[in-house]
Amino acid sequence: MRKNKPRTLLDKTEPYLWILPSVILMAIFIIVPIGSVFQMAFSEVNKAGIIKGFAGFENFEKVLTSSKFALVLKNTAVWTVCVVVISTVLGFILALLLNNAFKGRKIARAIVVFPWATTLVIQASVWKFIINTDYGALNTLLKTFGIIEANINWTPTPAAYFAWEIACGIFVTIPFVCFTALSGLQSIDSSYYEAADIDGATYWQKLFKITIPLVKPSLTVATVLNIIYVFNSFPIIWTITKGDPASRTDTIVTYLYKLAFLNSKQGQAAAVSVIGFLILLACASVYMVSTLKKGDE
Amino acid sequence: MKKIIAMLLAVMMLASLGTAAFAEDKVTVEVIAAQYGTKTADWWVGFEEKFEAANADIDLVVEVVSWNDINTVVDTRIANGQQPDLLNIDAYMKYYESDLLLPALDWCSEETYAKFYPAFLAESMDAEGTVWAVPDLASARALYVNTDILAEAKVEIPTTWAELRAACEAIKEACPDVYPWGVDMTTDEGQAAFAYYTWNNGGGFVNADREWALNSAENVEAMEFIMGLINDGLTNSDPANDTRYALQDLFAAGKLAMMIGPTQVEQYVADAGNKVNFESALIPANEGKANASMGVMDRIMCFAEEGRSEAELAAITKVVDAFYDDEPYAEWVLMENFIPATIPGGELCIEANPDMEKWVNLVAGAQFYPSIEGWDEVKFGVIDAQQQMLLGEDIQEVLDILQEEVAG
Repeated sequence: MRKNKPRTLLDKTEPYLWILPSVILMAIFIIVPIGSVFQMAFSEVNKAGIIKGFAGFENFEKVLTSSKFALVLKNTAVWTVCVVVISTVLGFILALLLNNAFKGRKIARAIVVFPWATTLVIQASVWKFIINTDYGALNTLLKTFGIIEANINWTPTPAAYFAWEIACGIFVTIPFVCFTALSGLQSIDSSYYEAADIDGATYWQKLFKITIPLVKPSLTVATVLNIIYVFNSFPIIWTITKGDPASRTDTIVTYLYKLAFLNSKQGQAAAVSVIGFLILLACASVYMVSTLKKGDE
Repeated sequence: MKKIIAMLLAVMMLASLGTAAFAEDKVTVEVIAAQYGTKTADWWVGFEEKFEAANADIDLVVEVVSWNDINTVVDTRIANGQQPDLLNIDAYMKYYESDLLLPALDWCSEETYAKFYPAFLAESMDAEGTVWAVPDLASARALYVNTDILAEAKVEIPTTWAELRAACEAIKEACPDVYPWGVDMTTDEGQAAFAYYTWNNGGGFVNADREWALNSAENVEAMEFIMGLINDGLTNSDPANDTRYALQDLFAAGKLAMMIGPTQVEQYVADAGNKVNFESALIPANEGKANASMGVMDRIMCFAEEGRSEAELAAITKVVDAFYDDEPYAEWVLMENFIPATIPGGELCIEANPDMEKWVNLVAGAQFYPSIEGWDEVKFGVIDAQQQMLLGEDIQEVLDILQEEVAG
């Protein structure tokens, strides 16, 4: 019989030594930048971005009383909810389709990855080109097929522009949801479905009683990550409209970029960033805690 | 074998120490330069090599940054206390307001200083007459017209707003597939649109006392004129999103009859490879008002640095003197397709390309964006105000609110 050796100091500290590099990296690349944004938000910052002293809540007050901020918050909510909800629904449906055995499934799965694998700026530029009134691919295609005679302005209002941006956001987010859901679907034991078949369950009963509850943890993680990614997404809106006209398509991230780098108000930009961070933290925490709690029950 | 390797390593270490010691003897001058075109970076590499060959005691380090990123790069460097010695960018005011700059005569030799057009220097001068940045080049804006489209619509090049509106209506009638007039009110350069129309109606950003006067009667009238053209469908369909580059594309494709643009439009059209016959002219003005051209000027400025030695400051002066050396400077300006900021540079450019004369004369009488405190807010504000007008907001009300926000 082998006796257990007493644990040495090295044994006790070894796990901490292994995770130390990750902790140091996180401290340098996550905690320090967050700390400096908070510091800037509560500071008087000159136009060149140099901190000149403590300003209390002055930057927050200026941001919250600005005529634009309510509009920007509303846009951010619409943008995040629409992109996350619609891409989650469509991504899940696509995952169900790709989970079936059919000829060319591997190719179909590879094609779904393409929008995800391409840079967002390129994706957004392509969408901008497609919907352009004067030389856009959509008008050219419709004219070639004789469906329209004259060019159509696909973006006559700011709301129309925003809808196209949301469509682009959904298009690039679907692959992530799809593959997360697909990994969840593939981990479901087939014996559940066999038992359900013996009991005479319909397709919808199997979907709602077996598939969705078992895929839920994967979808929860995908949704939380998506809320963070989409809320903070910059390239799509910046490439297509730069938040114009008059902030009608601005979200928090494009708005704070304009404040910081076009308007030289870096203190206010940092305050917007802190507000965004807190909103995100609250939303993600509430969603994750409530969903996982229900899952445990 | 191991001994040989160890000896080699030791020799290499010593050599590197020697190099480091040698490098420390040199004075380093750091420059951040704006990228004007595809040849800019290569030109600076050549300049660096020639300069270092002639000044063995100076290590010149030039970083060429695109216009899209230069503000972000410079602001980040400043926030980290790593500002360059010399910066080539458009506006100097925010660095001046932050007390980061040295007066031009501290780092620019009197000989070089005397070369600049005095009117250009005045654009970087404070109320006490101190110049804080020197111009590196300029550009003027003019009206470009597609002469074939105008001929088809049987109209002359417009010189007044009434003629402009009549020409637009005639073009729309004769060539329905063509946009008569190009307008850019985007975040990219919407402040230029404000300048084109308000300056040509006797208004502008400031009054005679150089105080913000954004809601003047002249400005309101000017905005009413251009919004009238837009609302009547006489312009491109999306002025809030069509940048000047998008307009230049349309003009080069023969899909836009008239636009206001810089000297580079000629090259832009030539590069597009589409045969477009065009002419340039003065920007139309309201009846009874003088035609005003818009000048855009970029600058070179020197950041103050605590503990900078006399030798370091002298090295900066040498770099600036070398940059403005007449012949290479004129070659650089011609290469970038801009207008020179020095008198000898202007003479050499005209000698090399007589077509430059009209542009040199044009920019000499042009108006520039005001270099006074608060320009960043005003620039951002007029773009936003114009975009609100495009959405149907009341012009007077929008300008009143902007004036209140800016001037208090």
